[in-house]
Amino acid sequence: MPSPFILPLRPLSRSGRLVLFIAGMVFVTLLTVAWTPARADDSEAPPPESPYFFVDSQDPATDRLPLKSTQVDVHIVGVIADVTVTQHYRNEGRRPLEARYVFPGSTRAAVYAMNVRLGERLLTARIKEKQAARIEYEAAKKEGKTSALLEQQRPNVFQMNVANILPGDDVAVEMHYTELLVPTEARYQFVFPTVVGPRYNSPSRSSPNDTPVASPYLREGQASSAGVDIKVTLDSPIGIKEMRSPSHAIEVTGIDSRKAVATLGGTDKPANNRDFILDYRLAGDRIESGLTLYRGDKENFFLAMVEPPAAVPVQQITPRDYIFVVDISGSMHGYPLETAKVLLEQLIGNLRASDTFNVMLFSGSNRMLSPSSVPATRANINEALRTIKEMGGSGSTEIVPALKRIAALPKPEDVSRSVIVITDGYVSVESEVFQLVRKNLGHSNVFAFGIGSSVNRLLIEGIARAGQGEPFIVTKPEQAAAQAERLRKMIDAPVLTHVQARFEGLDVYDVEPLQQPDLLAGRPVLVFGKWRASGSGLQQGQLVVEGQTANGPYRNAVPVEDSSDPAKSVLRYLWARQRIASLSDQEALDGGSAQKAAITQLGLDYSLLTQYTSFIAVDRIVRNTQAATTPTVDQPSPLPEGVSNAAIGAEVPSTPEPDVGLALLVVIGVGGGFVIARRRKS
Amino acid sequence: MSGDGMTASLGMAGTRHRAQDAAARDGLPPVLWLAALAAALWPHWLWMAGRWRDGSDDPLGLAALLAVALSAPRYAAHMTRQVSGLWLTLALAACVAATAALFFAPPLVGALLAALTLAAASRALLPAGQPSLALGGLLLLALPLISSLQFYAGFPLRIATAQLSTWLLQAFGAEAQRSGAAMLVNGRLIIVDAPCSGVQMVWMAYFCACAAALWAQQPNGVFLRRLAGVGAIVLAGNVLRNSVLVLLEAQPAPVAAWLHQGVGLMVLAMVCTAVVSLVGRKSHGLV
Repeated sequence: MPSPFILPLRPLSRSGRLVLFIAGMVFVTLLTVAWTPARADDSEAPPPESPYFFVDSQDPATDRLPLKSTQVDVHIVGVIADVTVTQHYRNEGRRPLEARYVFPGSTRAAVYAMNVRLGERLLTARIKEKQAARIEYEAAKKEGKTSALLEQQRPNVFQMNVANILPGDDVAVEMHYTELLVPTEARYQFVFPTVVGPRYNSPSRSSPNDTPVASPYLREGQASSAGVDIKVTLDSPIGIKEMRSPSHAIEVTGIDSRKAVATLGGTDKPANNRDFILDYRLAGDRIESGLTLYRGDKENFFLAMVEPPAAVPVQQITPRDYIFVVDISGSMHGYPLETAKVLLEQLIGNLRASDTFNVMLFSGSNRMLSPSSVPATRANINEALRTIKEMGGSGSTEIVPALKRIAALPKPEDVSRSVIVITDGYVSVESEVFQLVRKNLGHSNVFAFGIGSSVNRLLIEGIARAGQGEPFIVTKPEQAAAQAERLRKMIDAPVLTHVQARFEGLDVYDVEPLQQPDLLAGRPVLVFGKWRASGSGLQQGQLVVEGQTANGPYRNAVPVEDSSDPAKSVLRYLWARQRIASLSDQEALDGGSAQKAAITQLGLDYSLLTQYTSFIAVDRIVRNTQAATTPTVDQPSPLPEGVSNAAIGAEVPSTPEPDVGLALLVVIGVGGGFVIARRRKS
Repeated sequence: MSGDGMTASLGMAGTRHRAQDAAARDGLPPVLWLAALAAALWPHWLWMAGRWRDGSDDPLGLAALLAVALSAPRYAAHMTRQVSGLWLTLALAACVAATAALFFAPPLVGALLAALTLAAASRALLPAGQPSLALGGLLLLALPLISSLQFYAGFPLRIATAQLSTWLLQAFGAEAQRSGAAMLVNGRLIIVDAPCSGVQMVWMAYFCACAAALWAQQPNGVFLRRLAGVGAIVLAGNVLRNSVLVLLEAQPAPVAAWLHQGVGLMVLAMVCTAVVSLVGRKSHGLV
């Protein structure tokens, strides 16, 4: 049957053709107007809660790597370091942007100032309550004003936000902090972390203080384009004997004088993927001890540092039970785990026959090498070492369940137990861990070994503090033997116990810490606080430190040094930082935000960056007229040296189909073969 | 039939032949009519081109389009004005639905209706006995289907593949367990994730089937019955590919990428050969 739809077309009249043309145009216009091609829109997407690999959009209009360089200028006077960190952001794209950058800081840093250089102008940041600062920043961002916000995510992790960086802008953000350098066994160490290790954010975290740390990372072996330059100037009243860096190549001038300068040496290796560590010693292996006073306008502060007694080997060694808790998660895969194995060989291999031990391996789950501790016989040690050698790193880092299991292990009354945690610390449950250690592992000494080039020192130092132990950092296998020996000496012969500090002739208050911990290592006794002046003359008095050593009672008295050195004004920051740390510890123990008001007030009063206060700088001029469409760029960090891609995405093997192009070639080949075969056949 | 009736019938036939003659003299050739219909559906093709260009789907559809283009001259020669009214009506209905879908339905549904429009129109213009079903199949395969198939059919395929692989490996004495779409083989976890589902193999196999049916001029009925066998071959092939790769991955040593590719391509070649042999062989009797 013929269809009416293919009846022959009759020629159209002129007006008919015009009507048809107009109808066609209207149809095309309607289609074009109604055509709204789908676009990926992630503006409403929730922010990431875990570290992730950086993806470059290859869009030349948007500069995805706005941080061009970081300059670190360190000035150490005596035992106090004053550090200026300058981050240079330059927009080399064609669109304005907001830059976000998560970066590390020292665990003891008291961040007291920030300013922004925008061309010739200088914007000085103010300290504000965190939420208020965030609101002001968001408002300035929307208005198109260049602004900068510095927030604390962790005591050693910060986030910088810089809004409305226009194409061609060079924005320099300067951050100032100070920290006290506490010598250990007469050796001083200054550490500047350059990268935040990728943290495992446990889905079961329960502490409100443990917010996830999420930022983009470059892949293993990929160098960051944002270079770092570090210069350290050291002024000492005593001659400087030695200055060296186990982490970086440095050039040093001024050794054996009272002023030395260290700068990064020329090397092909990137400098920004590991902690910068600078060790130095003073002439005669002396440490700067004394009781220093500072007179302020409203308040007066003091810092006391008292040299410890020499450690004396004890005659009788008590048998001990050692529990080794070893992190075998994905971030430990490769070099860190190999370093941990060398350390364990040193620790376990040198146990005494009278000791007992057990080993727990943990990642997403955990397992003990034996149901209960076994005697440290050669056979048991060899068996444990053999098992440890075979392990490989993969999976997540569930440290809390692992420590809970350790806490539940039965312990005989007459046995002293030492728990030794070996990890890189790449977790975001620090508060929960500290709370767990303090509440449940009080019957043990907990020692923490941080393994790797960029350890989470907050966790390592916090575990040791909560567990009345000591922190250790091992960045290379060759350091393992010395650190293991240090631990053994520390456990066998504590330097000073039952420490008491009291002041004579000086009216002090707000003293930190309230209770002095036992000194296991050769570190000085530290006391911060405030004092009330009596009269207008120089202050007199002394600090008396008493305690017990292996040889018997110990007593040391340190006289007051009252001088009007304005450089000592940093004592107010150091005291406030110490007080904030104590309150934060208490908050971690109690849970919740019970100390929020006190910490906020300290931050505002002393102009310090805290978990509840932030620095904000806002330009007065509206510079970006398209603020609403300005993209946010997250500056990626390199993976720490030695850390593999497994730290971010553990690759579980799968069975993917072959490459689509090759598969199509196979199909064409099979089809061609079939045709040829059929033709030959026919 | 009465003599009057026969006269009337002959009269109607005469009128029809005259109309057809007129059509032959003045009307568009059928293939141009089909081309005009295709042109009218341009927004859908534009969307398809966008999907291929932006990388959101594998451009495998281009291969199907190429196969259609290569067979077009042969089809054009067979096209007739003796159109099937039913199929043409279906084609028109699909065309209206495809145009309406531009405003009310997801783009893939619109493109699917557009492909069905062309398939139905081709069927209307082709005489019975021509492999129009295979042509329609190629038109459907030309759509950017892979991502959507992966989304909707990927998970069931992964589960089926993992379970059948587990049974196969257990039959050969391996220690295998399935957990969701993952397998635990000899203590090692191996996931059967989206790229392992076999969707690509499904596309390749059906492409081979349609191309072979076109080439062999397989009648629609025969082709339709043999399609069930194609499904079974694909599933078996994917299970075999997955099982071999899982066994390799369960070894302590890492598996080289070329070995992965090699196994996949070899099994794909086996599957395609089986499909082409099944669909392309001459039909004797019903099948």
